[in-house]
Amino acid sequence: MLEIKDLHASVDGTPILKGISLTIGDGEVHAIMGPNGSGKSTLSNVLAGREDYTITKGSITYKGKDLTELAIEERASAGIFLAFQYPTEIPGVTTMTFLKTAVNAQRKVRGEEELNAVTFLKLVRQKAKELKVDEDMLKRPLNVGFSGGEKKRAETLQMSLLEPSLAVLDETDSGLDIDALKIVADGVNRLRAPDRSMIVITHYQRLLDYIVPDHVHVLAKGRIIRSGGKELAKELEASGYTDLTESAA
Amino acid sequence: MSDQALTYLDANGVAAVGPAWLDVRRKAARASFADAGFPHRRVEAWRYTDLSRLIAKTDWQPAMPHAGAVLVPEGRSNPFAAITSHKLVFVNGFFRPDLSELEGLPAGVEILPLEAALESGTKFETAFDANGPEAVAPIAALNTACAKDGAVIRLGEGVALDQPVQLIHYTPDGGATASHTRNVIELGAGASMTLLEAQIGWGGAYLVDRLTNLTLGEGASLTHVRIEDEDAQAVHIATVLGDVAAEASYVAGTLAIGGRAGRLQTALRFTGEDAHAESNTAYLLRDQQQLDSTIIADHAVPGCTSGALAKGVLDGEATGVFQGKVIVAPHAQKSDAKQMSNALLLSRDAAMNAKPELEIYADDVQCAHGSTIGELDGDALFYLRSRGIDEQTARRMLISAFLGGVLEQIPHEEARDLLSERAAGWFESRSGGEA
Repeated sequence: MLEIKDLHASVDGTPILKGISLTIGDGEVHAIMGPNGSGKSTLSNVLAGREDYTITKGSITYKGKDLTELAIEERASAGIFLAFQYPTEIPGVTTMTFLKTAVNAQRKVRGEEELNAVTFLKLVRQKAKELKVDEDMLKRPLNVGFSGGEKKRAETLQMSLLEPSLAVLDETDSGLDIDALKIVADGVNRLRAPDRSMIVITHYQRLLDYIVPDHVHVLAKGRIIRSGGKELAKELEASGYTDLTESAA
Repeated sequence: MSDQALTYLDANGVAAVGPAWLDVRRKAARASFADAGFPHRRVEAWRYTDLSRLIAKTDWQPAMPHAGAVLVPEGRSNPFAAITSHKLVFVNGFFRPDLSELEGLPAGVEILPLEAALESGTKFETAFDANGPEAVAPIAALNTACAKDGAVIRLGEGVALDQPVQLIHYTPDGGATASHTRNVIELGAGASMTLLEAQIGWGGAYLVDRLTNLTLGEGASLTHVRIEDEDAQAVHIATVLGDVAAEASYVAGTLAIGGRAGRLQTALRFTGEDAHAESNTAYLLRDQQQLDSTIIADHAVPGCTSGALAKGVLDGEATGVFQGKVIVAPHAQKSDAKQMSNALLLSRDAAMNAKPELEIYADDVQCAHGSTIGELDGDALFYLRSRGIDEQTARRMLISAFLGGVLEQIPHEEARDLLSERAAGWFESRSGGEA
């Protein structure tokens, strides 16, 4: 699915990622953990194609193609989805209009027929119900005035509608209480499939109790300093990042 | 004394025709304009719109009636055509009975061209008396001295006109010609109507000056929806000048997309308590277009509310101007006035000038004003694109969302939808495709 080799990236000339290599197979869920400032969000933004980030070295191969050559929207249509840590508020664009525009934009690029209003509404209602997103929320401007939980549920709803091949969940647990976390995690778990891989980025182990990863990587100072199975998350929970980052240094 | 003004008046002023009372006023207006001259940038209220310079170097001659059929270019037709209305059509500033629809007017409703109204002996001296505040006075004088035609609309007490009235102005001919139009709208106590106005031109370099005198009686209500879509070489001025009596209401919504340079100026004075006036303006400019939206609310009496909202999208080397002025008289307590200007700059070479002015002499009032000038939100663009929406569509979505805030204030639903479509058409017609 995804192969990252010796990836170096910088923001405004400051190097943030300093040689990341990571291979993610079909259907695998990889957790990337690390302290603040370790480069977790930079990695997710680089994968999504944000223009403020410059790749200075290394490669990203997605489904056998050079991902870095694709524009932001081309990556999305190719199946990459970034669930934002802080979803952007967009006044004046209703959530429903946005969802329909996004779904049909991707269908069009893939040569599929665009969904008509009725079919789309049916689909959204069904998915929204599963995520406890009420109709009122869909009529409101995108993410405007949404609570933390509502924003993350809206992100998960987008993911379930767009059906990506590779989902990158950037600190999906931030700002969520335990009930909201369960709803979002259930939504994510329903989307696990043999042809869908996920990168779950988190600071805390808590999320990984609900979205159980196949592999766990620890990111510190722009490098992966340790990789292991799901038990590595537990170990981190007990020992904290300090031990690890110091022993690696 | 201004030579530029004198030369202009000699060519374009109206000679002694019509009733004696009008002739007296024309002469006074002529003298006043000759003295003041075309407003220029050293006049504070015209600082950003140097009309003297804009019309200089042209030997302006009066527009002539257009012979024959009016062939409106594709995409420039009257956007309100589908709305069943009473209709007055003017071409090059002259009334065209063959294109107008004035049959079946209900009792208590008078809608006719200015010339016919003058011949009928109807008195409306007062409409030619007031020149309004300093900011609009020179143009009011120019208009009085030069206006040949226009519309007169009068509703009797308590008359609620169901069908809107359309005032459609086409300017198919240019060649350095000028037209001056005077509209007089008087609504009796409790009367109400909707005015749909379209100002559309494609004749090249021309000058249009349209002034509408409003008199709203107690409890009267006027809804005014406008589109300004003049030729890309034209200079246009549209003035609304009037008095709003107790409990009366004036609500305006304007979409401006045309012209080389334009000024929309509205000056309203409250003459009775609990009246309301608001102007909502959306403007979309590109290339070297400039548009000046100047709104003056004179709270001469207590308890009135006024609002001015202008939102502009500026591309290329376009320039937007917002001037809002609120005057609250010493005894005009409980006045409530709001002014807001928002501009979205799509290019580095676009510019915006916003100038709010408050002259408040009462203490128990609410006056709010604000101004924002910004560009498209990069985070929002990234978010939309990260969902597969291409950059151009994403930009349009954000621009439409920005404009939605003012277009949704347009008070007539059908007209609002039609103008929103026109605004959307502006994007389609953009060359270069950056956005």
